[in-house]
Amino acid sequence: MLSSLQNPRQAAAQLMNFGLILSTAFMMWKGLSVISDSPSPIVVVLSGSMEPAFQRGDLLLLWNRNFFSETNVGEIVVYNVKGKDIPIVHRVVRKFGAGPQAKLLTKGDNNAADDTELYARGQDYLNRKDIVGSVVGYMPFVGYVTIMLSEHPWLKTVMLGLMGLVVVLQRE
Amino acid sequence: MYSSIVRLQNTFGFFTTVAFAVACIIAASDLFSARTPSVGVLKTTNVQVVRGRPHYYSSKKEEYAIIRFSLDADLSSLFTWNTKQVFVYVTAEWPSAGGSGSGQNATNQAVIWDSIITSPSADHLANLGPVAMRKLRRSAAGKSIDPSRGRLSINNQRPKYQITHPSSKVANQEDVVLRLHYNVQPWVGILTWNPDEDFLKWKTLKGNLSRKFALPGLKKKDEGKTGTRS
Repeated sequence: MLSSLQNPRQAAAQLMNFGLILSTAFMMWKGLSVISDSPSPIVVVLSGSMEPAFQRGDLLLLWNRNFFSETNVGEIVVYNVKGKDIPIVHRVVRKFGAGPQAKLLTKGDNNAADDTELYARGQDYLNRKDIVGSVVGYMPFVGYVTIMLSEHPWLKTVMLGLMGLVVVLQRE
Repeated sequence: MYSSIVRLQNTFGFFTTVAFAVACIIAASDLFSARTPSVGVLKTTNVQVVRGRPHYYSSKKEEYAIIRFSLDADLSSLFTWNTKQVFVYVTAEWPSAGGSGSGQNATNQAVIWDSIITSPSADHLANLGPVAMRKLRRSAAGKSIDPSRGRLSINNQRPKYQITHPSSKVANQEDVVLRLHYNVQPWVGILTWNPDEDFLKWKTLKGNLSRKFALPGLKKKDEGKTGTRS
């Protein structure tokens, strides 16, 4: 570590390396976002309302384009409700009408009642524009790290510190 | 250069690479298992339309269709080593007042009944009471895959959901059909629904459409006791 401080050229290279890793990750995320037409193409399941299909911490891959058919009943969608910033993963159980004005109703497989209660005041149905994407791919457990990080904020500091330390110590 | 941190990093990197590769192979293995589900019977047994309120505190009156049905289907080929659960659901579909015919272009579609069929290896995740859970686990003791759970034989089933329409009117609606769908949830990989066309070894679900029927008129109060049954 001390040696890298003595050599400013090497220190700069390491800083560049760290920046490169960060920007690559960011570009991949945004690239995936463009391909899937979804503001957040990968989401982590936060609640158990879709159990046993999805548990907390599972990773879902979203797709938000309608190439072959409209978003239909039976699809599992991620949607946002006005005024609430937490996206919800539930299944579409009713659809009335077609096109962008179609009225969609969702329900969690593990919930007894449909989502009317979760929607904004006076909102009875979702529209296509409320939907962030339909779930197409599934990967268990992997997202649990992010849940840990958001529930125990000090872990974030520890992890960033460790990452920085590794980059500084690493000399290649 | 060969510090313990670098070694730890390499080990972790190798572990994630291998885990990801194995996950990809497992996900791809779905494509090589044939899916040949079939439907024997899907028909309505008793259809009623009643008036009711969406919830206790509402004063709005709506018409609700209660569609009882019988179902006989064999979905056992959907259960493979990568199947976590199969979500089976029956929808009622009907065209809009001025609209197109039913089918894929149906403009009104609502789930009337659904069921989660877990694979024995996912039984512990099911949301059941202790007695039902014990029974479920005993039904497949020692097995990690149990295709027999995919054989459904349901007679005169009450719908789980009474359906209505945003206009609150469903009585006397014609050209209603029931359709059976499934959604296979893998342990890892791609979620799949019943395909519209044959795809490699995955066959379409034939006969998953009931005959067209009409919803009856509103049930009068004094008719309640004689309730028709067919």
